[in-house]
Amino acid sequence: MSAEPRPFPTAPPAVDIRSVRKVFHRGAETVTVLDGIDLRVAESAFVALMGPSGSGKTTLLNLIAGIDRPTSGEVVVAGTDVAQLSESGLARWRSANVGFIFQFYNLIPVLSAVENVELPLLLTSLPRQHRRERALTALKIVGLGDRAQHYPRQLSGGQEQRVAIARAIVTDPKVLVADEPTGDLDARSADEILALIETLNRDFGKTVVMVTHDPHAAERAHVQRHLQKGVLTR
Amino acid sequence: MRFLPYILKHLRRDWVRTASTVMGMAVCVFLFCTLRTVLQAMDDAREYGSVSRLITRHAVSLAYNLPLSYQGRIAQVGGVKRVAISTWFGGSLPVKKERQDVRRSGAPDFSKFFTNLAVEHEPYFAMHRELVVPAPEMAAFREDLRGSLIGRGLAQQFGWKVGDTFFLESFIPAFRRRQGPFEFVVRGIYDADLALEPAADNRFMYFHYKYLYEGMGRRIGTGVFVVELEDGRQSAAVARAIDGVFENSEAETKTQTEAAFRADFAARVGNLSLLLNSIGLAVIFTVLLVTGNTMSIAVRERRTEIAVLKTLGFSSGRVMGLVLAEAVAIGAFGGALGLGLSALMIETLPRLPSIGAFIRGLPTFGLHWAVSSQGLGIAVLVALVAGLLPALAAYRARIVDMLRQA
Repeated sequence: MSAEPRPFPTAPPAVDIRSVRKVFHRGAETVTVLDGIDLRVAESAFVALMGPSGSGKTTLLNLIAGIDRPTSGEVVVAGTDVAQLSESGLARWRSANVGFIFQFYNLIPVLSAVENVELPLLLTSLPRQHRRERALTALKIVGLGDRAQHYPRQLSGGQEQRVAIARAIVTDPKVLVADEPTGDLDARSADEILALIETLNRDFGKTVVMVTHDPHAAERAHVQRHLQKGVLTR
Repeated sequence: MRFLPYILKHLRRDWVRTASTVMGMAVCVFLFCTLRTVLQAMDDAREYGSVSRLITRHAVSLAYNLPLSYQGRIAQVGGVKRVAISTWFGGSLPVKKERQDVRRSGAPDFSKFFTNLAVEHEPYFAMHRELVVPAPEMAAFREDLRGSLIGRGLAQQFGWKVGDTFFLESFIPAFRRRQGPFEFVVRGIYDADLALEPAADNRFMYFHYKYLYEGMGRRIGTGVFVVELEDGRQSAAVARAIDGVFENSEAETKTQTEAAFRADFAARVGNLSLLLNSIGLAVIFTVLLVTGNTMSIAVRERRTEIAVLKTLGFSSGRVMGLVLAEAVAIGAFGGALGLGLSALMIETLPRLPSIGAFIRGLPTFGLHWAVSSQGLGIAVLVALVAGLLPALAAYRARIVDMLRQA
């Protein structure tokens, strides 16, 4: 059931999910979105989660990112059982361990690119100058060092997603989760974003869990997992 | 402090909305500070201070006259230098109609209303040295029973000059006579020396009390007695002594400083304090609703951003704090702007032609730090209360729900 660990097969898993169920209640109706999921993602692995709409991909991603809690089961990410953390503890944990890449970038429109990237660093004790230096470094990594002062409305979709990726990596998290990161982009921009994510995985050792509908995008991952009606099928 | 630039940038996002909310808050603080300053100054004026003149009036109401015989008894009270009769006539120029003789017309034209006082000229002008009249004009006024002295402002308002005649009709029944309005001749124009008396008004008209007294068949008393003191520091004691003389009489008196009298007179228009406070409260409540609505809209529009902030690791408490800080920033900006506008208005009020003299007569009139801090406090408090519900909504919102709604 576990993804092939790369490049260190014996390393402890970055994500260790055991017997996870997630149930939603809609009035009297109970909807089981995830039903007994077991998933292990090794450190520095690149996993693509695939499946039809409503299969539970995004819910599983949200559990890994610590923005939702399982109804039952264990979700251990970067060595921490996230289900056991308090609300504020979970927020602190997210800021240090997970970088989230959204489908629609979700940049703050009133902030420039560098200010958007700097946002997570406001929660650290770093002085202003160091924060700004780190944000600029992250922007250089994603190839947008010369767009630091641009606002989201002045950037293309691909560039916005790069800024969003810079924001996700600026705190140097162990795990990157991406929810359809190329879903709103043209083919060329999508390819560039996927190449960037590959680089972050290969050169910077980030563990990447990516939800996608696109088989071409999924091919860039080392491992593809398929969800069907809340159950991992492959 | 590290979040301040973030908060300020958000305020600039929809600057029209922010500016209108700030303006609403500014109006709230402006009204509060200005009204409080006027009310406080009026309250202060009611306290006895070191003054040179007192006003003795009927204890029940200004609507009742005092017997003229009181004048001699007041003059005998220790510390009293002079006593003068002064009666508010309440006269207006009669309405002008085609082929109508204004001397027979009884309907006053309130659009041309001004203060006109029937005074006992010798003691009155002796104790009101701030009313400066050229000696020949004062002499002419003394000689003519129908004579009047008008302020320079009044003369300019109506284009009157020495020698002009006009008619006045009082709306007070006791001062209305069967044969029609009183006729007056301008015998002199006075200037108000504001250095001597800041409350002096150059838009008053004075005429002989004797003219009114004779005209009404010698059946009237006086509205007030103006009392000049030997020593202004004794004002409280002398006022008590005067009122003591008439205690348990048919017409008990109430003696106040001039400033206190003016404040009471202004308040006589109605319960001025209640009125002004009600206006202030209504405005504050309205601004509370407007700001609350603005903050709610702002938070609703930013559901995705709030979800993003929480995803990035901002705790619910911190997100709530950011929303509240934004509301407080609006309150602080609005408060500061309102305070500035209020300071400007308070600086300007004493110079305005209509209300200036009354304001100048309030000895403690000015924007004090206590009122300023109350104004700013109210602005911040209103903003905090207005921001509380949206902030709680942001606090409670779940990331996945907000992302799903986006």
